[in-house]
Amino acid sequence: MQGPAPSSNATDAHFNLTSGGATPPQSQTRSGPRTFAPQSGFAPWKNPIKPPIVRFENVTKRFGDFVAVNNCTLDIYEREFFALLGPSGCGKSTLLRMLAGFERPTEGRIIVEGQDITDLPPYERPVNMMFQSYALFPHMTVESNIGFGLRQEGMAKSEIDIRVDQAMAMVELMPFAKRKPNQLSGGQQQRVALARAIAKKPRIMLLDEPLGALDKRLRGQAQFELMRIQESTGTTFIIVTHDQEEAMTVSSRIAVMDKGIIAQVATPGDIYEYPGSRYVANFIGDVNILEGKVSAVSDGVIDIAWADGPGTFKTRSAENVTVGQQVWLALRPEKMRITHDKPEQSENAISGKVDDVGYLGSISHYHVRVANGQRVTALRANSAQSFERAITWEDQVWLQWPADTGVVLTK
Amino acid sequence: MRRWYVIAAPYIWLLLFFLIPFFIVFKISLSDSTRAIPPYIPTLDITGGWDAIKTYVSQLDFENYAFIFSDPLYINAYWSSIKIAGISTILTLLIGYPIAYGMARAPHEWRATLMMLVILPFWTSFLIRVYAWIGILKKEGLLNLFLMNMGVISEPLTIMNTNIAVYIGIVYSYLPFMILPLYSSLEKISPSLIEAAEDLGSPPWRAFWQITFPLSLAGVFAGCLLVFIPAVGEFVIPDLLGGSETLMIGKTLWSEFFNNSDWPVASAVAVVLLLVLIIPIMFFQRMQANEREAAR
Amino acid sequence: MNTRFSWFNATSIALGFAFLYIPILLLVIYSFNESRLVTVWGGWSTKWYASLLTNEDLLDAAWVTVRVAFISATVATILGTLAAIVLVRMNRFPGRTLFSGMIFAPLVMPEVITGLSLLLLFVAINFDRGFWTIVMAHITFSMCFAAVVVQARLLDFDKSVEEAAMDLGATPVNTFMQVTLPIIAPAVISAWLLAFTLSLDDLVIASFAQGPGATTLPIKIYSQVRRGVTPEINAISTIMIAIVTLGVLTASFITRRAQQRASAGAK
Repeated sequence: MQGPAPSSNATDAHFNLTSGGATPPQSQTRSGPRTFAPQSGFAPWKNPIKPPIVRFENVTKRFGDFVAVNNCTLDIYEREFFALLGPSGCGKSTLLRMLAGFERPTEGRIIVEGQDITDLPPYERPVNMMFQSYALFPHMTVESNIGFGLRQEGMAKSEIDIRVDQAMAMVELMPFAKRKPNQLSGGQQQRVALARAIAKKPRIMLLDEPLGALDKRLRGQAQFELMRIQESTGTTFIIVTHDQEEAMTVSSRIAVMDKGIIAQVATPGDIYEYPGSRYVANFIGDVNILEGKVSAVSDGVIDIAWADGPGTFKTRSAENVTVGQQVWLALRPEKMRITHDKPEQSENAISGKVDDVGYLGSISHYHVRVANGQRVTALRANSAQSFERAITWEDQVWLQWPADTGVVLTK
Repeated sequence: MRRWYVIAAPYIWLLLFFLIPFFIVFKISLSDSTRAIPPYIPTLDITGGWDAIKTYVSQLDFENYAFIFSDPLYINAYWSSIKIAGISTILTLLIGYPIAYGMARAPHEWRATLMMLVILPFWTSFLIRVYAWIGILKKEGLLNLFLMNMGVISEPLTIMNTNIAVYIGIVYSYLPFMILPLYSSLEKISPSLIEAAEDLGSPPWRAFWQITFPLSLAGVFAGCLLVFIPAVGEFVIPDLLGGSETLMIGKTLWSEFFNNSDWPVASAVAVVLLLVLIIPIMFFQRMQANEREAAR
Repeated sequence: MNTRFSWFNATSIALGFAFLYIPILLLVIYSFNESRLVTVWGGWSTKWYASLLTNEDLLDAAWVTVRVAFISATVATILGTLAAIVLVRMNRFPGRTLFSGMIFAPLVMPEVITGLSLLLLFVAINFDRGFWTIVMAHITFSMCFAAVVVQARLLDFDKSVEEAAMDLGATPVNTFMQVTLPIIAPAVISAWLLAFTLSLDDLVIASFAQGPGATTLPIKIYSQVRRGVTPEINAISTIMIAIVTLGVLTASFITRRAQQRASAGAK
C-alpha cells in the first residue's frame, strides 16, 4: 500500500498531506492511510504505548430483541474531547449511559483507567454526567445543587463551599447562588448542570446532548464555553450529539455511529475529508456520490467507470480495490469547480444543466442535473462573481475536480 | 352578565345546602333540648317581630359546650378519635407509599391498569368493604381459621371489636385516597433526577431520601389529609369493627342524636369537631387551590 | 428504558393489591356457601341469591336506592360541571374564595357533620323527610366530587379551541354545547358514574336524611350487618360489587378506546 503523492494543486495546500508518499502512522480506523493532520500536536491515539482512559471492549446492549449497541470496541484517551455522533436511536446515548452505569452491557466489558467497571454502580464510578434534561433537583438552590455531589463524599462543609464557589465562578453563576432552578433561564440551567458535574472533578465528564435545548445563538457560545472548561480543567470529555457541526466544533475525535455500530472514529478533519463509508460521508456535511466500477488500478490511481453516464474518473487513492469492483466516489461540493466552458486540461469533468442556485451571500450553491438526472452540488465563493459571467438557471455547465480530491468508498 | 347564570346555580345550591345548614347547626347547639317536635327550644317566631328575635337570642347560651367540656366522655372521644385517625393515617402512609412508588416506577403500559385496580375497590360500597372484614377478623373468622390451620397460633386472636380492627378498617377503606395523590406526585419525578443523584455519588437509598421523598412531600401531605380528616369523624368503621373500648366522636355524635335524641348536644359536638378539623381542612383547601393555580 | 418491574416494586404492588382484593374476594366466595355458618364451607350453592329475590323489603330498598342515585347523580353532574367551569374559567367574582371553599370542603368533611347539618336544615324549613331529602343531600356532596373530576379535565383543555369557535361566530352557549362539552364528555361521564356510586354507597348521610317510606339499601344492609354476618348480605354485596365492577370496567374501556381513537386521529 502506498501513500498519496503530494498534491500538485496549489489550491489544495491547506490539505497538509503527509509528504513524500511515505506511509503515515496507521490510523485505528479504516479511513485509509491518508490523514488530515489536526491543528495541534495533541494526538494520544497515535501513541501505541499510551493506555486509553476509557476502553469499551466488545460491548453489546440489547433491550429485548432490539440491539441498541452492537459489539462496539472503542478507546478514548485522557484529555480528549470525544464526540459520539449519530442520528437518534443509533445507540450513542446507550453507550454513554453504560459508561455512566445506568445501563449494564449485555456483553463485553468497560474499562476505565485499567479497572473493569462493568459491574460498578453509578455512584461508585469516577465519571459524572451532564444530562440532556439537565436533571436539576427542583427543591434545591443552585448552590446546593452544585454541592450535592460533594456532600455525598462526606467532604467538610468549608471545603464544599470553596469548591462550589469555584464551580459557580467558572460558569458565571455567582449572582444566582440562592435561586431555585425554575427561576433560571434555559442557558443558566444548562450552566448549573455543567457546574454540578464538574464540581466533583470527575476523571471523565459525560455530556448527553448538553446543548440540545438551547437556541442556535446560545449554543454557539456554550460550545466554546465547554471547550474552554475542558481545556482549563484538563478533564476528559465525552459528548453525545446528533448535531454534526457541534461535534466538529468541539471535539478532538468523533465516533460516527449507525444502528448500534461504530461506523468510523477519526478527527473531525479526517472524518470530513476521508469518510470511510457513504453513510459517514452523507452524515457529515454535504457530499456528491457517484457510483461506478473500477476499470483500472495503477500506481496509486484508481480509474472508475461511471455507472450512470459517460466518463471515467481518476482518483488518487490507496484503497485496496480490484478491477470490476463496485465503488462509490465521494466528492465534497466545495472541491468541485463549476464553469461554463469545457475545461481544457482537467483530470475529471462532467457536464450538466443548472437546476437551482442558492445564493448565501459569501458563497453560492449550484445544483446541477447531470447525465442520468442525478443532482450534483457545487459550491463557489462569490468573490469571483464580478469577473465572470454569472452562472444561472438552465445554464449548460461543466463540473471538474482534480484526481486527489475525491474519496473512493467500497461500502 | 350571562356568566352569572353559570355561577348562580352551583353557588346558590351550595349556600343553601352546605353553608346555611352549618349556621343552623350552630344555632341549635346554643339551644336547649326538650321533649317536643322539634326536640329543642327556643324556636324562632319571625311573626313576633323585633321583640321576638330579642327574646329568642337571649334564650341562647353556651350551656351545651360547657357540658361537653366538663364531661370527660366527650373530651376522651375527641382525643381518641384524633389518636386513632393519626395512627391509621401513618399506617396508611407506610403501606400506601411503597405501592404508589411501585406504580409510579412501573412500565408505562401498565400504569393505567394499575391505577384502575387501585380505584376499583373505592367504587365498591364502603359498607360492604368494612363488612367483609367482620368475617375475616372475628374470633371464629377466616384469619384465625387460617392461622390455626397453619399452626401459627393455637388460640384464636381477638382482633374484632378492638382498636386494631378499627385501624385495619380505616387503612383498608382509605388506602386509595392515600395512593392516588402519592402516585401523581411520584410519577411527576423524572427518573433522570435519580440517575443524576446516583451519578453524583449517592447510593439508591440515600438518593431516595434526598431526592424522591422531598419531591413527593406534596403528595404525602395531600394523602394524609385525605385520610386523616374523614377518619376523625368516621362512624361506620368504629361502629362495626370497634368494641366498647373504641371511643370515636362520630359514633358519639350518632348515638347522641339517634339514641338520646339530644339534638342540641349533638350539634355542639359537631361544631367542636368542625373546629378541631378546621385547620387541616383549610390546609387541604389551600393545597387544592395551589395545585389548580400551578396547573393553569 | 423502564420496561420491567424491579423486584421491590413488583412485591410492593403485589402485596398491596392482595390486601385490597382478598377481603372482597373472600366475601364473594362465601356468598356461594351452602352453609349458613361463615366458617364452615358447605359446598357451592346459589340458594342465598334465590332467597334475596323473595325479600320484598330489600328489593324495595334497592329500587329506592337506584332511583335516588340516578336523579342525584344527574343533577350533581350538571351542577358540578357548571362549578368546574366557574373554578377554571372565571377568575374574578365576588365570593370566589368562598365558592372554591364550598367545593373542596365537602370532599373531606366528616359525613356525620354533613348529615346532621342537612337534617337540621330540613327540620328548620319544615320539609318532610323522605325520598327527596335524600336526593338533595346526595346532590350536595356528590356535586363537589363531580366538580373536581370535570375540573381536572378542563385544566388541560386547550382554551384556544373555544376561542376559535367564537372567532368563527359561535355564541358562548353554542361553543359550550358543540365544542367544549364533546371534548370534556369523558370526564362528565365519569363524574356521573362517580356521583351515582357515591349515592349508592352512602349510609351515614342517608340515615340522617331518610324519612318514613324511603329507606335505602345501605341502611337496610347496615341494620342487618349489626346483627351479624349472614350469607344473604354476602350475596347482595356480591351483586352490588358485580354491577359496579362491570360499570367501571365498561366506562374505562369506552374512555380508553375514545382516547386511542383521538390520539390515532391526531397522528
